[in-house]
Order: sequence, then C-alpha cells, then structure tokens
Amino acid sequence: MNGQLLEYATGALDDGERAEVEAHLAGCARCRADVAAWRALAGGADPAPPGPELVHRVLLRSALDGPPPPTRRPAWFSLALLRAEARLVRPAVPIASALVMALGVALAATSPRDLAGQVLALVAPVVAALGIAGLYGPRRDPAFEVVAATPTAPALILLTRIALVFGYDLVLALAASGVLATLGGDPGGLFALVDAWLGPMALLSALSLVLAVRVGADVAAGVAVVLWSLRVLVGGVFGDTGWAFDAARVVWSTNAGTVLAAAVLTALAVFLAGRGEPIRRHRATYPV
Amino acid sequence: MMDDDAALVALVARGDGGALARLYQAYARRLFGYLLRLAGDRMVAEEILQDTMLAVWRSAGGYAGASAVSTWLFGIARRQAYYRLRGQPPPAPFEAVDRPDPAPGPEELAIAAAGGTPLAGAVGDLPDHHREVVALVFVAGLPLAEAAAVLGVPVGTVKSRLHHARAALARTLATQGVAE
Repeated sequence: MNGQLLEYATGALDDGERAEVEAHLAGCARCRADVAAWRALAGGADPAPPGPELVHRVLLRSALDGPPPPTRRPAWFSLALLRAEARLVRPAVPIASALVMALGVALAATSPRDLAGQVLALVAPVVAALGIAGLYGPRRDPAFEVVAATPTAPALILLTRIALVFGYDLVLALAASGVLATLGGDPGGLFALVDAWLGPMALLSALSLVLAVRVGADVAAGVAVVLWSLRVLVGGVFGDTGWAFDAARVVWSTNAGTVLAAAVLTALAVFLAGRGEPIRRHRATYPV
Repeated sequence: MMDDDAALVALVARGDGGALARLYQAYARRLFGYLLRLAGDRMVAEEILQDTMLAVWRSAGGYAGASAVSTWLFGIARRQAYYRLRGQPPPAPFEAVDRPDPAPGPEELAIAAAGGTPLAGAVGDLPDHHREVVALVFVAGLPLAEAAAVLGVPVGTVKSRLHHARAALARTLATQGVAE
C-alpha cells in the first residue's frame, strides 16, 4: 500500500486502484498524512498561465524571424567563398606578379639556352612568396575584422586564399614555362623548366606563409627577399664556394625534401591561422 | 485523448496555427506550472513558455509518435528552460553590500505569488534536480514513467528523488517550525 500512495497522490492510478486506495485511506490516518505530505510537494496554486495571445506572439515571432538558418552549407559554398575572397585580393598583386613574370620570361629568353631554367627558378619563387606574404593578417587584409566575425573558420579562409594566390602564380609560372619551351629556351623541354622552379616556389611560399600568419606580412616579405638574394649571391658573386653552393642547390630544387617541407609549413600555417591574440593586433583598438 | 494530441501535432507540422493554439490551450497550465518551478520567476517562465511554443511550431514535423505528446512537449520545455536559464546573467556584485530593503523581497513575493504558503517557498529551496522532478510529477501531473522519459533517467531514480525531496521538505518545514 505504501508504494501505491505516491502514485495515488500523483493521480496516476486507474479507477479501480484509486477506489482501493481510497477505501484504505478512509480508515488509516497515517496513510492520509502520507498522501498529504506528497501533495504538499506540489505547493500552492499557481498563477494563471498567459492566455492564447501567447500563441499569436509566437506565430508573429516565427514569421518575423523567417526560416531558421540552414545548418548545412550549400553545395556551392566553396565557389561562393572563392569568389568572395577573390574580391579581397588587391588588383596590384596579380598585376605586379604577371609583370615580373613577363620580365623573367624576357630575361630567360634572351639568356643562353641552358640558363633559362635557372632564371625562371629565380623569378617564379619570389613572385609567389611575395604574393603569399600579403595574404593574411590585420595589416594587409582590409576585411580582417569582418572576416574574423563570420562563422567561417580562419583556417578555411586562409586555405581559400592560398588556393587563389598560389594557384594564380602556379598558372603564371606554367604559362611562362610553356612560352619558354615553345621558344626552345631549354634543351630539357617543358618538364625540365617546371622542375627548375616548382620546388623552390613551394618552399619559399610556404615559409613566407608561416611568417605572414605568425609574425606579419612585412617580416614574411623581408625574409623571402633575403633568402632569395642569398640564393642569387651563392650562384653569382660568391661563385662556387663549396658546401654553401651545394646546400643552396639542394634546397633550391624540386625534390621530395623541399616538397615535404613546404607541405609541413603550409599545414602549420593553417593550424596557426586565427589562433593569435586579437587584442595585440595592429590597430585592433584605437589609441586613447 | 492521446490520439487527439498526436493529430494536433500533425496539424501543427503542416503549419496550422489554430492547431497550435488548441495544443497550447490543452497544456498551458501544466507547462506554465512546470516552468514556473524551474525558473522561479513569472516573467522568465512566460518567456520560456513562448520559446517552447516557438520550438514546437518549428519542430512539430520531427515528432514521430515514439513518445507521448506530453513527454515530447515537456522535453522541449525542459530544453528551452536550460537554454534560457543557462544564459542568465549573474547578479550584480554591488547588490551584496546594499542595505536590506524593508519591502517584501523577491522570495516573499514568489511565495505570495505561488499561493502564499511557506510550503511553496520551501519547495523553491530544493536542489534543482529535486525541484524539477517535483514539478514534473506534482505540478505538471505527468505519470512517473513519462517524467522519467523527459528527464532521461530510470523510473526508480524519479521515485528516489521524490522521496529525497519529500524528506528535505519535511526537514525545512521542521526547522521553520511549520506544522506539516
């Protein structure tokens, strides 16, 4: 009977069981007190709930809010993001890249036949690295704060921009190689030309990317230019200086090591994107 | 009765505002009583009730009939209450050093609003998970099995929490010197 008192007090018993309990309660003061103690838990009477106007408010709110935001990104999201980011790239960057690359092609075409690949290997990496240096960060990005406030992850933004800028530079360098190959600039043909610049371009760009994300665009551009100058000096002024020349030649070529290093550095940059402390950013707050 | 409610939810899923009003009419008192115990404040309870009905309006299509309509409704109300109450700002720090106001405070007002008995105040002092079970079973009038389904705990746990709540209530009332 004791177990049923709780159910009786909640009103969960069916008619037969309720009658049974009530018959018992009539003659048992202790159980009556028990039921009263359970019912005491319900507390006093509640104020009346809001009237049917609440439903009108709900329907109005639903109509005003519009449909709930889609939780899945549409299929064309990547394309839309690519287009949106393309509008943020300052036109000076692709124009300057194309001009420098054209200059490189002109130089390579007029140089001795076997040096065309080397000239291209000097021009293409620095064009890509400088383009990448201005890719990210509060100083160079006019939409940095707006982008930081959108639900799109900074890493995704960075990847999109890498695809845009590096992809553009890749197409430029390929076109330059194609032009030189048809002009007969290199005895090895198109493949040898691409082989000359692909590795250095990937490595220098990746290094520049990490520095741009972690330190800043200026440092990234500076380091890229210094490394590039060192490469030029090792090949030219210093001449054949033994180990330095060998080291520079290994690093400044397309091999498994440089491609792997470039991939690791790019992954590091994507990981670091958006992890900085925004308050210390340049002009994040106005000076008082 | 049960089938009527399920049919109402199906109508709501098809965008019938009148069905939503009928569903509200059928459950308003119980939902409001439950939310009032959870929130401890009439205005907040009304806001959560509105959130609940909005969520019902939007997600009625997701009701598959696997549970009773009342279980489904109270589950939604509970979730909305947690969203709303979790976001509650902490009390302002300067209130602590303020002089006590001789006028009736929110607690006294809450007691008065809930029927004016010290009992209601004592129920309000119970820990959250006890208060919630009491509200579901005694205020909303859900059967124990349904209350257990809403809370996602076994029926035995619901019973033991009710017993704990009753014992705690008896202790509080004894210390306040109120005869049971």
